Amino acid sequence: MKNLISIFRNGLWAENPVFKLVLGLCPALAVTNTVVNGFAMGLATSFVLIASEIVISLIRDYIPDDVRIPSFILVIVIFVTFTDYFLAAFFPEISNALALFIPLIVTNCLILGRSEAFASKNPLHKSITDAVGMGIGFTWVLVVLSGIREFLGMGSLMGVDILGAEYTEMIIMILPSGAFLTLGAMVGVIKAIDRKVGARND
Amino acid sequence: MADQRASIKRLIFTLTFIGVFGSLFLAFVFNWTNPYILEHEARAREEAILTVLPDAVRYEEEERNDYTFYRGYDEQDQEVGIAVEYSEAGYQAFVYVMVGVDLNREEVVGAHVLNHQETPGLGARITEEDFLNNFRDLPVGEYEVVDSPEEEYEIEGIAGATISVEAVKEAVSGGGMLIMEHFGGDR
Repeated sequence: MKNLISIFRNGLWAENPVFKLVLGLCPALAVTNTVVNGFAMGLATSFVLIASEIVISLIRDYIPDDVRIPSFILVIVIFVTFTDYFLAAFFPEISNALALFIPLIVTNCLILGRSEAFASKNPLHKSITDAVGMGIGFTWVLVVLSGIREFLGMGSLMGVDILGAEYTEMIIMILPSGAFLTLGAMVGVIKAIDRKVGARND
Repeated sequence: MADQRASIKRLIFTLTFIGVFGSLFLAFVFNWTNPYILEHEARAREEAILTVLPDAVRYEEEERNDYTFYRGYDEQDQEVGIAVEYSEAGYQAFVYVMVGVDLNREEVVGAHVLNHQETPGLGARITEEDFLNNFRDLPVGEYEVVDSPEEEYEIEGIAGATISVEAVKEAVSGGGMLIMEHFGGDR
């Protein structure tokens, strides 16, 4: 049980996909210009991650080593396509906003990375824990990142105007360069926190 | 050697199995979700047609030269104009615009963005009413994007969305001329 909790917490901070593993940066940078988009992307990715890790963990003993990666990619593609159809049918607005980036979850290194590094070597319960932890870890980063960008770039949060009409929008924050700036600053802050906590523990 | 043969068979079998199983699963998902997706599309199209022909309460489809036009009618069953879907390349992908034209006045009476993949917060603002109001009662023809429109064929752009604005402008102008070309002689 203690083991499971540490696997779960891994994804939230110590091995956070975006900050520590530096995986899945493409969606983290591309769709985080509004909180709604960032959150939806986080959830969609988490779903694919959890479903893929479950299946891969279940079939891991039957997959020959040579076709390991192609098999994982097939499994991931199946769930991404499912997500694409599902969102288009039941959440058309989210589907419109994320558009191209839903099919692109296939190429999200986070999912293939965790499938290869974790689910292909661990039993079901551990794989699910890892996937949920990583999924939440990925989602919170996207939400915070998109929150900062939307707030500075449009003066609003979740589409609700906060700073009012007088606020001069920093358009750069909405543009791709704003994503790099924000992510860089966040990685810096996370490192600083880690160093402080590390120094205190010594 | 024998070992290697067997293992190749197993490789093929594994991938085929996952592929077949996955396809079956996705075929089921497609059957389940597709009616909803088509419904959303149909509703979006209907909304768009009635938006770009503000006086219309119903419409009829009409095919001419492989284009699908929509003829709008008002409450007295009078024809109020023609709408057509037209697309132009935007910043990320094609921008699909529904354009409505009043034949008698030879004016674009409304435009509505059906589908686009422009940058949220920037190019995506082409769907906002403030921008689309540019295309109300505008003569059919070529337009120019300017800061503060004064002339007849000038429209107001969006800061940071030059390419997206150009795409909508071109689509409206193309759609308008397409309608005039096919129906202009009908009056």
